[in-house]
Amino acid sequence: MLNRPTTEQVLRGLINELTTVIAPELHSEPAKVSLGMITQILNGCATRSAHEIEWIHDECNAIESAVSGLDDPATQCALADYRNADLALSLDASVHRYHLASEALSAAIEFAFSTTNKGLVVDLRELLKARSAHEMQILGVFEMVGRG
Amino acid sequence: MLVPDEMPARLASFLAIQEPTASDIEVASYGVLTGGYSRLLGKASISWTIDGQRLHRTFVLRGDPPLDKQLIVTDRRQEFGVLRAVAPHVATSAAVYLDATGEHLGTPALVIDFVDADSLLPFMAGRPDNTDLVAPLAETLAAFQRTSLTSLPDTMARPASWNEYISQRIDEWRRAALNHAESEPIMRYLAAWLNAHRPAPVELTLIHGDFQSANLMRSTSGELVVLDWELAQIGDPREDIGYFKAVSQAAGPDVIALDEDEFCRRYRKLTGMTEAQLNPAVIAYFLILGVVGTVRQLLEGGAAYAAGKNTAINSLFSLSSVQFGHSMWLPATEQLEAVFAMAEGAN
Repeated sequence: MLNRPTTEQVLRGLINELTTVIAPELHSEPAKVSLGMITQILNGCATRSAHEIEWIHDECNAIESAVSGLDDPATQCALADYRNADLALSLDASVHRYHLASEALSAAIEFAFSTTNKGLVVDLRELLKARSAHEMQILGVFEMVGRG
Repeated sequence: MLVPDEMPARLASFLAIQEPTASDIEVASYGVLTGGYSRLLGKASISWTIDGQRLHRTFVLRGDPPLDKQLIVTDRRQEFGVLRAVAPHVATSAAVYLDATGEHLGTPALVIDFVDADSLLPFMAGRPDNTDLVAPLAETLAAFQRTSLTSLPDTMARPASWNEYISQRIDEWRRAALNHAESEPIMRYLAAWLNAHRPAPVELTLIHGDFQSANLMRSTSGELVVLDWELAQIGDPREDIGYFKAVSQAAGPDVIALDEDEFCRRYRKLTGMTEAQLNPAVIAYFLILGVVGTVRQLLEGGAAYAAGKNTAINSLFSLSSVQFGHSMWLPATEQLEAVFAMAEGAN
């Protein structure tokens, strides 16, 4: 398998071609809007291709560490599902583990609010902020293409 | 609308049915418009003769994309009814004709008057200061929210009480998260947070549901013209304010923020709300709650794409809006907690 150029490099190259060669030739407004959306989506795909599995792994570990000591059956049940998941390195397996870890986090959040445990709410919110920070890296510069 | 080349003939036949006494119907032009994420848009110039008088009108058509290209599913018949109900209260495009089934226009569509006005976003972008829009914005919201609920289409849900409605609305975050293609802990957090910090109740009214600058135009007389009523429903009127602010974070400027105290004062005066019912902290609460309807629909589009049931590029693109929202809602909850804590301390 040839890894270089990386998937990220390939996608960014395609974006460059789309914006510098294809875009100036487009005269239809719907097509321009569509290309603007495609460019933004591809930018996100490029960042995801470079970091997605790493970020999933990091967030899963952080979630497991934060919720493992909670005395809440729903959280522990979700955590057990996560721990029993396939540890394969494929993207599908990683995405599934992330989903299960996120379920454990969701259960822990609901437990924190139902017990008015403000400290726990603050701690779990930090995990959500880290997730959101990754999302914003994927998003890059967000533009509402075609609006207004 | 699905096949633009067919539209001149389709429109001529449709108009002949809608205006049985018309003759010499001529569709001078039909073109596809951009600007609508969820519906197909077209613009048509049509002339016809009635009682010896030659009429010329320009219409905008709003029609449904094919099912596998629909970002959100809404009802043209209901939108038509809402347009008719709000027309006496606020400047908007007049609803003229409806093809509810798509029998004539190829897809369910409404035909509305073309409004010769400036889109608000570019209008604002061309000015150094938009503070003069603060009061008209408050007035426009208060105006259409005065629409009598009995004049609205029967298909719109009528919540029994504010408490019941707001509980459902908050739970919509949780249900949207549970129905998504993957776990969404940020939305589960928001549902729990919103439930823990409910604001003072108000009377339910018509809400626009997608009240943002991109759906506003400015007429030559300075009136704000409100477009795109497909997500209108009966709800908490503060949702429209919060939603406006939320979208303004991504596509500014945020007109309300230009003078938020004046906006609140003006809106309270027009609606009779108290300061406890509407203040900047309450608006920030609704910056989160007010977007749930749209967020749910965007997530549904993304989930349908993930399941292979939808191929609309809009569905992919719109997930970006949800992620952008995450980055706004989380800090908003933190900031509001600080405000609430200060208020508790003062009491």
